Amino acid sequence: MTELKLPPNAVRAALPVVTIVGAVVAGVAFGVEISLLIVAAGALAGVIALLWASVQALTGESPLTLDEALTLGAPSAEEEQKRAVLRALKDLEFERGVGKISEDDYAELSTRYRAEAKRLMQLIDAGSEAERERVEKALQARLEKKAAAPVAAAVDGGDEAPGEAEPAPESSPASAKAAPREEEEAS
Amino acid sequence: MWQSLPEFGTGVLYAILVTAAYTFAVGLAAGRGQPRLLRSARLGAYATAGLTLFAIALLAYAFITHDFRIRYVAHYSDRSMPTSYLFTALWGGQDGSLLWWLFLLAGYTTVCVTWLKGRYRHLQPYVIATLMAIFGFFVVLMLFAANPFEATVAGARADGEGLNPLLQNYWMIIHPPSLYMGFVGCSVPFAFCIAALATGRLDNEWIVAVRKWMLFAFLFLSVGNALGMAWAYEELGWGGYWAWDPVENAACLPWFGAAAYVHSTMIQERRNMLKVWNVFLICLTFFLTIFGTFLTRAGIISSVHAFAQSDIGKYFVGFMGIVAATSLALVVWRLPQLRGKSEIESVASREAMFVINNWALLGGATFIFVATMFPKISELWDDKVTVGPPFFNRWMAPIGLTIFALMGLAPLFGWRKTSPDALKKAFIFPVVTLVLTYVLHLVFGASLGYPAFVEKDAFYPGIVGVVLQKIGAALPGITVALAAFNVAVVVQEFSRGIRARQRSAVKRGDEENALVAFFRLIDKNRRRYGGYIVHLGICGMFIGFTGGAWGLDRETAMTPGQSYKLGSYELRYDGSRMCPGNPKCSPAEQADVSKRMIFADLTLLKHGETVGHLSPAKFIYHRQPESPTTEVSMLRSLREDVYTVIGMVDPQTKRATFQLHLNPLVSWIWVGVMVLVGGALISLWPELSFREAGAWSYLRASAGVATSSMLAIWLCVSPTSAYAASPRPRAAVVAEHAPRPLPWGAFGAASAGIGLGALVTLSRRRRPR
Repeated sequence: MTELKLPPNAVRAALPVVTIVGAVVAGVAFGVEISLLIVAAGALAGVIALLWASVQALTGESPLTLDEALTLGAPSAEEEQKRAVLRALKDLEFERGVGKISEDDYAELSTRYRAEAKRLMQLIDAGSEAERERVEKALQARLEKKAAAPVAAAVDGGDEAPGEAEPAPESSPASAKAAPREEEEAS
Repeated sequence: MWQSLPEFGTGVLYAILVTAAYTFAVGLAAGRGQPRLLRSARLGAYATAGLTLFAIALLAYAFITHDFRIRYVAHYSDRSMPTSYLFTALWGGQDGSLLWWLFLLAGYTTVCVTWLKGRYRHLQPYVIATLMAIFGFFVVLMLFAANPFEATVAGARADGEGLNPLLQNYWMIIHPPSLYMGFVGCSVPFAFCIAALATGRLDNEWIVAVRKWMLFAFLFLSVGNALGMAWAYEELGWGGYWAWDPVENAACLPWFGAAAYVHSTMIQERRNMLKVWNVFLICLTFFLTIFGTFLTRAGIISSVHAFAQSDIGKYFVGFMGIVAATSLALVVWRLPQLRGKSEIESVASREAMFVINNWALLGGATFIFVATMFPKISELWDDKVTVGPPFFNRWMAPIGLTIFALMGLAPLFGWRKTSPDALKKAFIFPVVTLVLTYVLHLVFGASLGYPAFVEKDAFYPGIVGVVLQKIGAALPGITVALAAFNVAVVVQEFSRGIRARQRSAVKRGDEENALVAFFRLIDKNRRRYGGYIVHLGICGMFIGFTGGAWGLDRETAMTPGQSYKLGSYELRYDGSRMCPGNPKCSPAEQADVSKRMIFADLTLLKHGETVGHLSPAKFIYHRQPESPTTEVSMLRSLREDVYTVIGMVDPQTKRATFQLHLNPLVSWIWVGVMVLVGGALISLWPELSFREAGAWSYLRASAGVATSSMLAIWLCVSPTSAYAASPRPRAAVVAEHAPRPLPWGAFGAASAGIGLGALVTLSRRRRPR
């Protein structure tokens, strides 16, 4: 007999929706008190599920999802500073546009900010080189490992065993994440 | 184990404490960089919030089912109260308001943790741990000092005592939640601040994260205080809206801190300066929210707003001590990293103006703080000294005007330094407007009923008294001129921005008309131009405050048929009636058996023409006959409000005493608040990047649900509110035993809001990544 397996996101999304819809319907049909009981029951069910998941994560019984692994990266201090400098440049252009800054001051500040942005970008590039190589090696090793065990993967349905997931290196997703925001700010 | 709801509810509070403690510990452990622990802490935070929702639903259930085994339910509700006021009773008393505070913190925690997904990886664990520590404090407070689930010692009563009639007002339904939203909202910036200090990541990263949360709190602090003013104006019946009551003062203190921060954060972002100052402001603002809560509840200063005196003060003092000590220790530890490398290069710069403005705001807050606490401080060496509204009005007016003037000056300066030419160009139009307005006011003000000088009595003997008297007399003219100056600055800023956009469009070979340029200007610089709109709102509010200088306050007694002249109005007393019972009463008034209502009907005439009917009243509730309530009746307009209150009516002769107030320009305060809210929302609205879109959609979804809930509450209470607001009540009052119609409107609004929220949330999935 095939086991019915619901996607975890569907269960996660269904509970609040079922609770709210149930509360509204019960409120209309039976009164506010029943509606409140349904909200309380829904909250309690959610709390039990969340605590269970929290303990599982704590003890390492549940693997990290790809989404979570991707969020592990954090922008470095240099990336934050670069963003601040780009913002300052954008503001400087605006101040010039509305005539709040003289051309001499604008030229001086603009040159200074651009030089600072360039220096930070070079620092970021230099810092991420080693990380990039490490990620490529880790990815290569993982692909080779997967190719070597196709049968086991098919039996497991592609799932990772608990505890096997490797956290993604911190700098790469961060760099990838920072990119669109920076592009937008620079524009 | 738990045989009844009181014990079960207390058990849930214990469960919240255990979950918060667990999440706090896991959060701290996650600070060492283990992703699994962070995931566990995030889920723990959601679970803690879920348990709080469970607890508030239980208490609401107890109110709806009239479970008088719970002392809090028995004390603040009775069987005759409509459903809407049963919900209001959740935060109507001390114990429930603490649970409500926790519930709002749960909401903020949920949104914050969701928003943090994929952001600020290093700060997250400490943000969660700090929020859980705040959870812990409030749960401990409830468990050991103010348990909303505590059982009635003598067993369940047949009926409860009921909510104070003064609180059965639609303003009170929305005022406390709004103010609490502002108060509790300051917890998130504080949590980020502690996280930044703990991790040492003190660059601009956390400042960017915090600014919108603080602006959100600022928005709700503004709305909450304004709603409190509206409640006092309509319900308390003394003719004014702000009495410098200790609790009112405590509520406005964090507003000053938040207002200072939303300006000084720009200096750190732009110039990498004032890091210590910003940390101080965030910690101070959070501290002041706790102080305000302490002042309301500890009963150390007498106030019309204060909850019953209790021993929870010592818990608050302990928590404030922990907050201050922790913040101070972390700041001292990180002081080398917090010291800025930049300096203010010129006094003629925007950062210098912001710093002066910050000092003025903090000066105002310090003055209010000391004056509020002075009666208590004076007990240390002398007899108790009381500090009344005249004292505050004398001193706060010049302080407020200094802040008002600086508000207009700052936008005229550029960052770093402003050249003399640029300054001259920037100042000409606003200064000409200021001078012209002042001259016009001097010449025509008196004939229009708004003279620029209004003589006041000397408040103090000696030279200080004379100086203050002269300043006080000149304040109306100065305020109006400064308001014109501020409006001119904002108009000029918009105009320069529009012209710059148009020039830039021409360079690109494009063309933008002024209207398109106006909207695009706001769209591309929401924070800056939203801020200017907030300034316009504050101008409206200052004009409204100034109106008090030209007001009239009279007391008189009339017999039916007599008239009284109030400014350009004439009030004719037509007679009194007691409802239910009098044939002149409306069907709604006849149907209301919960109280006796004594109305005094007045006809309002201007130049011989009838312009309205007013019916001030006294309500005597059968449950609390010893405390009759005063029901104000007024005719509002943008020019002035005619505000009437009845003192007493002789049942034999029908002779009645009245308090009559002519309050010029008060409506501008409410208009100003609405403009301020609009401006703050523009500033808050995110400039979406693809990554950011996801998180803000959660917030928008929450906003949708919150709006629908507020709308639902409003729809539930609309019959009562219409009754309370109407000068000559015609709306239906739900009779005690009448069958209650189902709140279809409320359910419809809630469903629409939830649907809208769900749509917005789901729509993020379609965004390109």
